[in-house]
Amino acid sequence: MIAFVAFSLRRAWQGLSHNGLMSVAATATMVLMLALLSGLIILLTGLDATLKYVEQEVQVVAYLKDSADLQEVGHLETALGQMPQVTDVSYVSKDQALKDFLARHPDEAEILNSLPTNPLPASLQINLRDPNDYLDVATYLRSQSPVDRVLNIKQTVDQMITVIGILRAGGIGVLVIVGLIVLFIIVNTIRLAVVSRADEIEIMRLVGASDAFIRWPFIFEGALVGLFGAFITIGLLWLCQGPITGVMADYFKVLPVEASATVGRDVALVVLGTGVGIGVLGSYLSIRSYLIR
Amino acid sequence: MVSAAASDSKPSQTRLPGAPGKPTEDPVRPRVVLAMEGVTKSYPSGKVALRGVDLVIPEGDFVFLVGPSGAGKSTVIKLVIRDEMATKGVVLLDGRDLARLKRKDVPRIRRKIGIVFQDFKLLPHKSVRDNVAFALEVTGAPRREFEPAVDRVLRVVGLTGQADQLPGQLSGGEQQRTAIARALVHNPRLFIADEPTGNLDPLISWEIIQLLLRINELGVTVLMATHNAEVVTALRKRVVALEDGRIVRDQTDAAYHRED
Repeated sequence: MIAFVAFSLRRAWQGLSHNGLMSVAATATMVLMLALLSGLIILLTGLDATLKYVEQEVQVVAYLKDSADLQEVGHLETALGQMPQVTDVSYVSKDQALKDFLARHPDEAEILNSLPTNPLPASLQINLRDPNDYLDVATYLRSQSPVDRVLNIKQTVDQMITVIGILRAGGIGVLVIVGLIVLFIIVNTIRLAVVSRADEIEIMRLVGASDAFIRWPFIFEGALVGLFGAFITIGLLWLCQGPITGVMADYFKVLPVEASATVGRDVALVVLGTGVGIGVLGSYLSIRSYLIR
Repeated sequence: MVSAAASDSKPSQTRLPGAPGKPTEDPVRPRVVLAMEGVTKSYPSGKVALRGVDLVIPEGDFVFLVGPSGAGKSTVIKLVIRDEMATKGVVLLDGRDLARLKRKDVPRIRRKIGIVFQDFKLLPHKSVRDNVAFALEVTGAPRREFEPAVDRVLRVVGLTGQADQLPGQLSGGEQQRTAIARALVHNPRLFIADEPTGNLDPLISWEIIQLLLRINELGVTVLMATHNAEVVTALRKRVVALEDGRIVRDQTDAAYHRED
C-alpha cells in the first residue's frame, strides 16, 4: 500500500515535470478559471451585502397622535422591541422631528417658524429584520390606540423585494453558469494533458498494470495541478486584496469592513476545494475512457 | 482443427494439446500456451476481421504469423492480449478462457505475455533500466526485489552497458532490445513480436531475429507477426498465413513469399 502510494505520487510528479508545457497550460487554465470564479464570488458577496443593507433600511414609520399618552407609547415601544420581526425601535419626539426636518431642509425654516405650533407628529421608527414582514408590523401598529397613521410604503417595499429577488437569483444564475463553464474548460484541459500521454497509458496496460496503478498517478497529478492552481490564485487574490477592498468600499459604500476577512477566507477555501476537486474529477473522467474496455 | 490449405510441407497438427512437445519444468502447466477455436471477430461497422480461425501454439514453439496488410494479424494479437474480445469462438491463453476473465484479472493475464512492437513503445524519460523495471513496478513489487530480474534480462539482450541511457540516446536496434528486455522481465508464457523489425535496417533486423531465436531456445514460446519474407524463409519455422481473416496455410519448416 505504501509502495503503491509512493509509486503513484512519484509517477504523478514525473508526469508533471516531464510534460512541462502541458502542465503549465493546465495550471494556467486552472488559475485563470479560479480567478474568474473567485472574482465573481467576491462581486456577488458585495452585491449581497449591499442588498442586506438595503433591506435593513426598510423602516416602518408610525406617526403618533398628539394626544397619545407617553406611558402607552412606552408600552408600545417595549412590545414592538419584543417582536421577532423587529430589530430596532426608536421614538422620535415632536421636537426631534422638527430638528431633523430643519437639518434636512434648512431653506424651509421660514415656513415652519411662521406656524403657530409644531405641525410635525411624534413617531416610532421601526427597523425590520426582513422587509417581507412589513405588512404584519404595519397592521399591528394600525390597531394600536396611540398610532395616528402608518406611513404606507407597501408599494415601495414590494418593488424593492422584487428587485432584490431578481438580483439574488441572477447572481446565483451567473455563478452557476460560470461555474459550469469553468468546470468544462478545466476538465477539457486536463483531458488534453491525459490524451497527450495515451502512449504511456497504453504501455502501462500492455505490461499488465492494474487499473489502480494506471489511474491513481493521473488523479494525483490532477490534484497537484489543482493545488498549484489554487495556491497561485490565492496568492494573486491576496496581492489584489487591498485594491479590491478599496473598490468594494468605494463602489458599494456599504460593505462592512470586517466582512472582508471572512470573505477572503471563504473565497480561499472555495478556490482550494474547487481547484483540487476539479483536478481530480477531470483526471478521473479523462482516464476512465482508457480503462473501460 | 486447423483450416489450413497445407501444400508442400507437413502440417502442424502433429503437435496438438497433450502431445509430447518440448519438456516443461512444471508438469502442472498446460502444454498449450495459446489455443483459438472457431474465432470470429466482427466490428459494429460490419467489417469482419477474422472468420473461424483455429490456431494452437504449443509451449516452446516459434511461430511466424504472416499475411498481407488487413489480413487479420493485428486482430489476432489484440484478441490474445485481450485488448479486444472475440465475437464468436474461444481464445484460451495458458488454459484461461479470455472471455470469462474478470476485469481485475486482465492485468494478471497480460503479465503472462511479453509484447514488442514496430515502434518500440518506450517511455522517453526513463533510462533503459527504468523502462524495464517499470513493467515490474506497475505490478506493485518492491524495487529491491526486482533489481536482479532486471539485470538478468538486460544481460540476455546485451544492454548491460547501456542500462543508464535514455531511449533517445540509443540506436533503433538497441531500443528494440530494451523493449524485448521489458517484455521478458515477467517471465512470459508467450512472447509476441508485432513487426519487430519493421523500423530497422536489414543487418539490425537479423540481430533482433537472432535474439528472438535465443529467447525461444531459453524455452519461451514466440509468436511473431511479420512482413519480412526473407527472414521467414531463411528460418524454416512454423508459418501461419492469414488472408482475408482466414488461416490459409499452417505448416512447419515453411517458406513465405510475399504476394501483397
